[in-house]
Amino acid sequence: IPLFPPFPPNPLISLPSLTRVFPPRPAAAAAAMAAGTKTVDYAAERALAKDFLTNFAGPHGEPKYQNILQDIANRKIRAAQIELDDLFHYKDVDEEFLQRVTENTKRYIGIFAEAVDELMPEPTEAFAVDEDRDILMTQRVDEGADGGADGTDPLQRMPPEIKRFFEVYIKAFSKVTPLTLRQVKASHIGQLVKISGIVTRCSDVKPLMQVAVYTCEECGFEIYQEVTARVFMPLFECPSQRCKLNKAKGNLILQLRASKFLKFQEVKLQELAEHVPKGHIPRSLTAHLRGELTRKVAPGDVVEMSGVFLPMPYFGFRAMRAGLVADTYLEAMSITHFKKKYEEYELKGDEQEQIDRLAEDGDIYSKLSKSLAPEIFGHEDVKKALLLLLVGAPHRKLGDGMKIRGDLHICLMGDPGVAKSQLLKHIINVAPRGVYTTGRGSSGVGLTAAVQKDPVTNEFVLEGGALVLADMGICAIDEFDKMEESDRTAIHEVMEQQTVSIAKAGITTSLNARTAVLAAANPAWGRYDMRRTPAENINLPPALLSRFDLLWLILDRADMENDLEMARHVVHVHQNLESPALGFTALEPSVLRAYISAARRVTPSVPRDLEEYIATAYSSIRQEEAKSNAPHSYTTIRTLLSIVRISIALARLRFSETVAQSDVDEALRLMQMSKYSLYSDDRQRSGLDAISDIYSILRDEAARTSSMDVKYGHALNLISRKVQSLPTPTLTGTTIAGP
Amino acid sequence: RRESEIHRRRKAERMVGPQYDLVGNPLGAVRATFERAAAAESGGRDPVAAFRSKDWGASEVFRSFLFEQGGLDKVPLLDASNLGLIKPNTLVRFRGMVQDMLGNEFYAGAFKDGSTWRTNKFTDFSPFAMPHPCDSHLWERHLFHCVPVPGQNSWTLESSPGPDLRQMANCLTPEQREKRKRDGDDDAMDVSENGNGGSSSCSKKPKEDDVQIPSSSAEMPASENVPQMNGNDHHIPGSSFSCLVKIYDMPESQVKLNDVAEFIGVYTFDPELAAPNDNSDDIMFDLIEDVTAQLPPSKVPRLHCLVWRKLSSVDFLAKHPAVEPLPSLLKGIRQSLLSHLTLVLGKDDLAANCLLLHLLSRLRTRVDVVTVGRLSLNFTGFNRESVSIFGKQLNTLIQGLMPYSQAIPLSIEYLNTATLQPRKDNKSGRLVTGVLQLPQGAHLTFDETLLQSGSLASKGVENTVLLKNLMESQMVEYDFEYYKLEMATDVQLLTLSEGKSNILPSDLVVPFRASTVSAVNATSEELESWRWYLATVRSLPQSSEPEIYQTIQDEMVSAMRNDRSLGCTELSRWLTMAQITASSFGEKSLSLEHWQMAKELERLRKERMQ
Repeated sequence: IPLFPPFPPNPLISLPSLTRVFPPRPAAAAAAMAAGTKTVDYAAERALAKDFLTNFAGPHGEPKYQNILQDIANRKIRAAQIELDDLFHYKDVDEEFLQRVTENTKRYIGIFAEAVDELMPEPTEAFAVDEDRDILMTQRVDEGADGGADGTDPLQRMPPEIKRFFEVYIKAFSKVTPLTLRQVKASHIGQLVKISGIVTRCSDVKPLMQVAVYTCEECGFEIYQEVTARVFMPLFECPSQRCKLNKAKGNLILQLRASKFLKFQEVKLQELAEHVPKGHIPRSLTAHLRGELTRKVAPGDVVEMSGVFLPMPYFGFRAMRAGLVADTYLEAMSITHFKKKYEEYELKGDEQEQIDRLAEDGDIYSKLSKSLAPEIFGHEDVKKALLLLLVGAPHRKLGDGMKIRGDLHICLMGDPGVAKSQLLKHIINVAPRGVYTTGRGSSGVGLTAAVQKDPVTNEFVLEGGALVLADMGICAIDEFDKMEESDRTAIHEVMEQQTVSIAKAGITTSLNARTAVLAAANPAWGRYDMRRTPAENINLPPALLSRFDLLWLILDRADMENDLEMARHVVHVHQNLESPALGFTALEPSVLRAYISAARRVTPSVPRDLEEYIATAYSSIRQEEAKSNAPHSYTTIRTLLSIVRISIALARLRFSETVAQSDVDEALRLMQMSKYSLYSDDRQRSGLDAISDIYSILRDEAARTSSMDVKYGHALNLISRKVQSLPTPTLTGTTIAGP
Repeated sequence: RRESEIHRRRKAERMVGPQYDLVGNPLGAVRATFERAAAAESGGRDPVAAFRSKDWGASEVFRSFLFEQGGLDKVPLLDASNLGLIKPNTLVRFRGMVQDMLGNEFYAGAFKDGSTWRTNKFTDFSPFAMPHPCDSHLWERHLFHCVPVPGQNSWTLESSPGPDLRQMANCLTPEQREKRKRDGDDDAMDVSENGNGGSSSCSKKPKEDDVQIPSSSAEMPASENVPQMNGNDHHIPGSSFSCLVKIYDMPESQVKLNDVAEFIGVYTFDPELAAPNDNSDDIMFDLIEDVTAQLPPSKVPRLHCLVWRKLSSVDFLAKHPAVEPLPSLLKGIRQSLLSHLTLVLGKDDLAANCLLLHLLSRLRTRVDVVTVGRLSLNFTGFNRESVSIFGKQLNTLIQGLMPYSQAIPLSIEYLNTATLQPRKDNKSGRLVTGVLQLPQGAHLTFDETLLQSGSLASKGVENTVLLKNLMESQMVEYDFEYYKLEMATDVQLLTLSEGKSNILPSDLVVPFRASTVSAVNATSEELESWRWYLATVRSLPQSSEPEIYQTIQDEMVSAMRNDRSLGCTELSRWLTMAQITASSFGEKSLSLEHWQMAKELERLRKERMQ
């Protein structure tokens, strides 16, 4: 492994020689160091490192690194991870030191390792001395005390690596935004960088020789050879003073058990899709994982990796062939799996600030909802509902172990070509964890889960479908109506209990599927048939429908205004080659994601005085339903839960700990609107006389609250909820102020 | 001989102007400019640091030589036929499509040899031995794997012939070639005071060089095949000629995948290092694969790019008639092209008009998910017999008119077996090309009459989804194993089918009705003028006049009221047709007349549909 000669802080690099043996301290390094702008006093640096390791106090005042060292001494852990965050907060560390560490990391790992060597405490707990190495070490120390070895010969001096039973890693700042693979340039060579990518390939874990140990047949000395390159030339002649003096040419025998090996794994990283500029293809980078970092990743993992970016010179024949070219790799220092859940979303940069600014803005609800799929014109209420789906409500677990789901389920129904699929895809794009699938899922696993036979081992394995994969996220199911019968039965369970139960081939289990379902379906006859009832048009059983909190029908209705809008849009696009201005600036998906993740951390509660209000609203809906002879509405106790869920989601958006009445009103309005979108004929029937309707609503409300004042905004809300067909412009302040 | 050689070169220098034979010894010029620039910077401790990812004037010298002093014609064009004939370390041109981006390569860009700084830019091999240890700078360059443009039609190759290398090479005996080579090295020594033994690797083994050359050229497709590139399969990696282009000092975003460009730079080849090796020392590191190792230099030449430019269809025209594209001129050519199209299509006037619009269409922009300007065409009413007559004529014509075109027989077997989707092979680290990896402006003709009922395998289903996506949104999904990336394309798509094609939903469906069959042949002058016409019209800008658009908008609204089935796609198509009609007459802005013409065309088409 190319323990490349430590780099001086300037970018001058000494290229490797072609010789295959690297003596422990290559002269090249010294030369390169001398050429540096200023020579750093490494002894002083080591003292500082020691000081830091001894005195740094963790968040609770405990000596963090002392504890780590003790654990290492007790053989509990094998890695000492020095965090740059800690270095940054340490009083005696200045910025220049930090800079030197990040720019010349490889050297500072050595410095910290030496510091750890010197500080290593005695083990406080007994541990079994069962390793060959420990026995060997004891012997070596004894021999050293005998003065048998003459310390002058570098190959006979025991390299510090062989004594170490730990590894030192330096971890990059956790708050720094990782670079994309594309941003890693020649100027980063030798530096500590943090990158993000997807693992595409992993090699097997192999042993890598770190120190080769030989014994001489003649003099019996142990000879050490530090291996710092990817290949090394074994020694054959004993270089010890004794053998040289005797001209004995002692035969060396490589002692595999005495030599020190490291676990070593190679990993290939590929740029993430969102980091690839248009018209380019993703880059890849090789990373080397050693020791404790091996076996931490698998192909397909999205990871953040910090490490030292190093060149790897070609050796032997390839060096000649390639002449002057160097491969590069990342020597990994830390690996973090990318967090995909909302709850684990870490805010970056100024996102907290942006969220605060947005939260202050009173109109955040409509602003956020408009920013969902901004290119899709209109559908404001649908988008509001989708925003609430993203936000959701917290899960509740009752005392008796009963769980009440917090995820909102929404079903969009509509004519083909009304951008349902686009809406779905956009929502998935915004959600940190989302799965888009179609009802006729092409994979054999389908939506829920399947037991499959492994072709190699013939064992049965359980494979999760889209709903299981979307656990703790959002599952968008397009063409919901064309779902297979088996999936349809399973989805009942998913939508209420949020689990998938499997009893097949001897496997009986239950998988979590805590996911919000966003479904899109086409009407039964392809297009919505106005002559038939909604129930006939919706090709889904009532049991399934009642599980959706909101059901929305998006119709392609003949509408002069829509026609004009469409013509205007098409003409504008062709004329100016850009979409018409939206009239507002849509928020970036990343900002949306950050805001939603912040909102999801809030757990609002319903205050006691609102309970009554919600109950009344629910019972009035039930009564209305009983009065009307429309058999196609399903107001059940689930509806009540939906009202609560939507209200809580609305409160979350305001970062409020309690649900306000306005939240409940908006929830009721949304439910009403969703109903109106379905039962358009209701619209015509209600509102025989608009003005008397309004009066009656106001009178009811006044009676209910036993007060003579009804706020204008409140009244508007009530009225729009109840009398949808009423043209709003007639609602002026004066008409309401009268009664 | 040597004297005459020197004389010849001097003469060339006088003609060309600059101090060095830029074609024969480009690296000499590079080094000279480097030394001059380094000397100018010598005040600092590290004069070369400033040259990282920056041109110190070398590219400028070549740029002015090539484009201002007409040097471009003297630079040989590198292709499969002459790969073995071109001398290493000379200036060559390569025209091709960026098929794969292999990332960056780090190289020792400059190093200090004693007290002098040397550079390794624009070359793979340093003529000077690098002392060890020494101060050096690691610079980076971009690697692009370039192939001849898929479906390139033979006429484009005539457009820019280089000097006839075969003749040049044939009149030189091997000794002369060796001699000349030595001269080239002398040149290098002229510019560097102490050109030491390091250069020997280039000149010492002429024998091996000679042995290598015939063997490598034998592996290439025979030169006679080159004009028929259309028939060759470019989609099996390694089966055809390609070139590894190394580009320096370039903002990364400039070259994109599938760009067609001309790269002018230094061709490097060293037979000694090109020999295959058995990688025995790399057993341990199975993931550090060197992608370039899969592209052996004997087959895939290396080109160190000094100057490059993107090519558009105008660049493929034989001569650039410096004619102003006046409407009157364009109108005439339009008429002759249209009448020819009518003849080819058996006197079907409507089909010919639609075909003309289709050939002139281009993707103007992409607004969110909507594409503006594309006009894919579906001729229905074809059967196997009529395809063999009209389809063939049509294909020949399109091959004569478009720079790159391909005809795809859409049979069940083809759908089930063909690799349409480009895919990243994570084992080899390379992008495996698919049929749909196409440059901007390519033309595809699908013959759907071959389709019979049968079942599609999963690959067939994937392929149809890809084709449908391409049709509907001009996007091709590339498979990167763990995720897919959508690449924007601009491909003209023509489908010949019996009924309306459902696999390939085109923008414009025209029932084809031929009345006569007539063999038609166009003269080469005609073809040339049509090519010029198509290339010119497609590059015409379109300005927007608000008044006319207001009228159009009103008409659209009333049309929608009469016909509820009209949607965004229809309205968009009308406008596209109107705008192309306007440009086909050489008009820069849409007038009411052209709108009416487009509407009339649409009316006739509708009539025929019923």
